[in-house]
Amino acid sequence: MNLTLAYNPLNDAALILVAEALGFYDSEGLSVTLSREANWSNIRDKLAYGLIDAAHILAPMPFAAALGQGPSMGRIIAPMALGAGGNSVLVSAALKRALEEDGEAPKSLRGSAKLLAREVAARRYAGAGRLVFAVPFTFSPHHFVLRHWVAAAGLDPERQVQWVVAPPSRMADMVRDGLIDGFCSGSPWPQTAELNGDGEVLFSDPDFWTLKPEKVLGVRAGWAEANPDGVVALVRALLRAAMWAHDPAHRDDLIRILARKAYVGAPAEAIAAAMADDGAGLVLDPQTATFPWISHAKWFLGQMVRWGWLSPEHDFDALARRIYQPDLWRAAAGSLGLALPLADEKDEGGQGSDWLLPAQPADIVMPPNALFDGGVFRCG
Amino acid sequence: MKVLVIDPDETRATLVADGIRAEYGGPDTLIRLSGRFELRMLRDFDPDMVIIACESPDRDMLEALQLANDAAPRPVVMFVDRSDANATARALEAGVVGYIVDGFNPARIASILSVAASRFQVMQGMRRDLDKARADLAARKTIDRAKGVLMNSRNLSEDEAYKLLRKHAMDTGRPMQAVAADILAVSDLLKPGSAL
Repeated sequence: MNLTLAYNPLNDAALILVAEALGFYDSEGLSVTLSREANWSNIRDKLAYGLIDAAHILAPMPFAAALGQGPSMGRIIAPMALGAGGNSVLVSAALKRALEEDGEAPKSLRGSAKLLAREVAARRYAGAGRLVFAVPFTFSPHHFVLRHWVAAAGLDPERQVQWVVAPPSRMADMVRDGLIDGFCSGSPWPQTAELNGDGEVLFSDPDFWTLKPEKVLGVRAGWAEANPDGVVALVRALLRAAMWAHDPAHRDDLIRILARKAYVGAPAEAIAAAMADDGAGLVLDPQTATFPWISHAKWFLGQMVRWGWLSPEHDFDALARRIYQPDLWRAAAGSLGLALPLADEKDEGGQGSDWLLPAQPADIVMPPNALFDGGVFRCG
Repeated sequence: MKVLVIDPDETRATLVADGIRAEYGGPDTLIRLSGRFELRMLRDFDPDMVIIACESPDRDMLEALQLANDAAPRPVVMFVDRSDANATARALEAGVVGYIVDGFNPARIASILSVAASRFQVMQGMRRDLDKARADLAARKTIDRAKGVLMNSRNLSEDEAYKLLRKHAMDTGRPMQAVAADILAVSDLLKPGSAL
């Protein structure tokens, strides 16, 4: 079965790249052509026009497109997440200093948010312009994370901070040239920038949300309906890649695979920095970080409402379930011996330590699932 | 017409420029080529149309500008490497975006550009109509709700409530929607149990 699968060269495309490097597509009976894309708009358009069948996408993209925010993407389903976490926020050295107290950076984001409020007030008093932050796409987890943090400072993200969308490949230059004060991007861009001395990492995804949803596998619904076995085979290949990539014994090999010029094509040193234990927190565990939680979909939809991009008068449950399809994940994962969550939704946040998720044949030991501000997002 | 061509491939950008000149060549046609897109180009050059190669990472930046600023969206025409006639046709049908296939026949580029430009005009018109329809609907909802408040609180018929709203709008020289919104805001405040 032939299919074209697109990705944006980032560490969190790992499952898509590993499955090719280790031959998992072949062994699942799939003949996959990878397509390396330089931006998200291309991926969206190519899905819409049927030039590609599936892709590595930002989780909020299909919801935004389905609700008429930006150009159409065609009908998309998301049978799995491609991991959790993996983004970092990098700021200029000057802003980093301003977000320290007595030369110490606060340990929590609550602390840095308080200092951010102080800095914004100081700039206003001095008649300086607003702080400018860059994100890679309007409808991106990156944008939601930074806005949530700014709002936690008691600031209005709409008026008191300026936002620009820019390609991660140019964000470091923009910090160096003083055009922006910081950015949030997938790894290894923030780590590359830090190694080049263009700024400093302020925080990474796990500091914000220990198990933050990020990218999903987006599949053209037309292709999925014509190839029901193909979708399950594709999810199986990617879950097998996750089983391999999640094993700490394979970390060095994983870094070498990602660093290939045809894949992520970034310096291995930067990729390794992002993959380190105190790095960007990319989790590739097939059991705990690839299930397409309906509660994740609703959190993203909730963020779009929160920032005024979406009216709250939609049937969010129906929309979430039209795109996120946990039963396809179950069909693939069950055949690989993974435990299957009983519910499609869970509380997002509020789990500060390991906890048990009801599943069959056995409950799953889940890692902490907590937001820095203690918030809990509950469906229904 | 001012056209900005963003393409990391300089040779191809030059071909595109030749194609535009062949069709629209004249003293009014200004073309600027760049390997990258910079925000200041919109201010400094103020293009009527931006053409961007699909392999440019800057596409998402341009896209976001169009989302944020309805007033000045510009069609974006891109290139795909493999020729796919169906995809090109579908892309053009989608409106704002047009695909140019490889093989850069300058005359073909010009004709695709003109299709993209006319599609763009149509889309702009549709978007304006849709915005107006949405605004009208929102106004009607607000007025209906305010009517309901008046009917309940002053024991009026629907017609009387409407006339009262209209009279107040005329007396104060404000749109009915604004008067209705005020009534709703105040009625929320007067609700028992509303926070101080």
